[in-house]
Amino acid sequence: MILLSFALAYAGFLALCLSLDRHHQEVIGGRPKPPRVQALRIAGWALLVLSFGAGVTAWGWIMGPVGWIGLLTASALPLAFLLPYAPRVALALGPALPGAAICVLFVSALI
Amino acid sequence: MKNGFRQSMAWLHTWSGLLVGWILFAVFLTGTASYFKGEISQWMRPELHASAAGPEAAAELAVNALRQIAPRSNTWSVGLPQERDPIIRVFWRSPEARRFQNAILDPVSGERVDSRQTRGGDFFYRFHFELHMQPIWGRWVVGFCAMMMLVAIISGVITHRRIFADFFTFRPGKAPQRSWLDAHNAMAVLALPYHLMITYTGLITLMLMYMPWGIDAAYNGNRQAFFAEAVGSPPPPRAAGRPGELVAIGPLVAEAARQWGEQGVARLTVHNPTDANSVVQISRGDAGRLSMNPQTIVFNGTTGERTSETGGDGAAAATRGVTYGLHLGRFAGPVMRALFFLSGLAGTGMVATGLILWAAKHRQKRAATAKPGFGQRLVDTLNVATIAGLPIAMAGFFWANRLLPLDIAARPDWEIRVFFGLWVASLLHALIRPLRRAWIEQFAFAAFLGLAIPLLNALTTQRHLGVSLPQGDWAMAGMDLGLAGMGALMGAIAWKLARRPETVPVKRKARDAAMPAAAKSA
Repeated sequence: MILLSFALAYAGFLALCLSLDRHHQEVIGGRPKPPRVQALRIAGWALLVLSFGAGVTAWGWIMGPVGWIGLLTASALPLAFLLPYAPRVALALGPALPGAAICVLFVSALI
Repeated sequence: MKNGFRQSMAWLHTWSGLLVGWILFAVFLTGTASYFKGEISQWMRPELHASAAGPEAAAELAVNALRQIAPRSNTWSVGLPQERDPIIRVFWRSPEARRFQNAILDPVSGERVDSRQTRGGDFFYRFHFELHMQPIWGRWVVGFCAMMMLVAIISGVITHRRIFADFFTFRPGKAPQRSWLDAHNAMAVLALPYHLMITYTGLITLMLMYMPWGIDAAYNGNRQAFFAEAVGSPPPPRAAGRPGELVAIGPLVAEAARQWGEQGVARLTVHNPTDANSVVQISRGDAGRLSMNPQTIVFNGTTGERTSETGGDGAAAATRGVTYGLHLGRFAGPVMRALFFLSGLAGTGMVATGLILWAAKHRQKRAATAKPGFGQRLVDTLNVATIAGLPIAMAGFFWANRLLPLDIAARPDWEIRVFFGLWVASLLHALIRPLRRAWIEQFAFAAFLGLAIPLLNALTTQRHLGVSLPQGDWAMAGMDLGLAGMGALMGAIAWKLARRPETVPVKRKARDAAMPAAAKSA
């Protein structure tokens, strides 16, 4: 669940980051059209809310918010430093991390 | 005041940050290391092994040992083994001495341990808020710097023009001061909640020392009375003067463990152990709860009857307890501890990049006039001696722990002398070498010290990686691997710096190392 919270935070930040002209250009190319900006923003915030939910599920209401804020930092820093060096990797991790986290959850539920 | 509000805030940010930056770097780095205080202490006392015995057995062992060691003492205090610090500590005060004496007991046998004498992780922990000065002076200096830090954070947020547009911006390819500014911003903004929290709660932990006047007014200067009421530590009972028999301690500890859980029982204190009026006080630890406000159960020492309980938190006491707890992070499990550690490193990196940014900006401004001025030289030298020098000193502290002879007198002091000796040497080295060479050589040396730690441990103890990994001895293995990882980071920075041609200004090269510099530490 902690891993999922981290992955969702990363994906959320990636969506918010792509809604900005500079990063959209750098990662995908071209300026995003207003509808796309809107969609990315909504997706980004929604993912962050989900990430908060996962954090609270993992740690409970007292520790959850504390840990979640730590996860926000832990997910945003690698994203910011990955962008200039490996933009494609940064983009691929967006869906890959939550996918991996969900797989881990499934496997651990089965065992 | 300069022209506009924003300019004056920028001015405030620059100078409040620069003046205390070197101390803040040291406070941040040693404080970040202190999240692993328990593990550091374990690594530095390799002779001690963990025990699986519960708190009752440990408490019985400790009290029996104290009957032998300090039969006439009027106060015994015992720190029970904790998951991350699995030893028994006993403290006692003999009638003639004013200060407490202490010893470490083996949690299995209850024998006094003759492990190597060391301050362990406590050295970094105390240094973090006392700087190894007279405690009262050190705390005031650190408090002043923390106050300036709060000023720098707030003025920095106001100064930052495009906080949302530049949220994820890091441009390693641009002009040096641009890239340093990006790195500084990223580490500051992306961990901003942590920076605010840690600075503010840090001030709160020592608020009663910085501003005692409220208490003095309300309690007519009787601070003891305040602490008894606020923190719930009752004054020690008076001895009856008649001999008394202390009850078996195990059942009392078991009762506390039923209430708080086995790991929850952390300390016990026995007042007047051989008197008819003896009192046993059992206190809860910090694991698994956010508040640090003490919780205690008090027992009558001769009957074993439960007499009172403290720690039903009032709102103000609970607030202080939670802020204190947040700062120390002792509630945290392994993952959350790692997150705190990462944020702490971001803070360390933020201070470091801020200091380097000042130098880079200044150098560019002065580029027309050939010679660097005194101020520039001073800042450059202090930057090297702090940002590269402190990691060297900290790594050297670990080396000293393994290499100093075990029977040397005042061994803990010698470890500390090695620490400061290396730090002074780093300052001298930065003074005599050209700037660029100084950075490269010191980072390379720090890299060597860190990377060679697992080897050093293997040569000097029986608990090297070949043993600790298969046994799942994570404190030992984690320290070896973590220190080696930090060494690798230092090496990456040195390599980045060295690879660039001489003609480019120094700061420019280091800039690419800004990413590893984010996680700079020793």
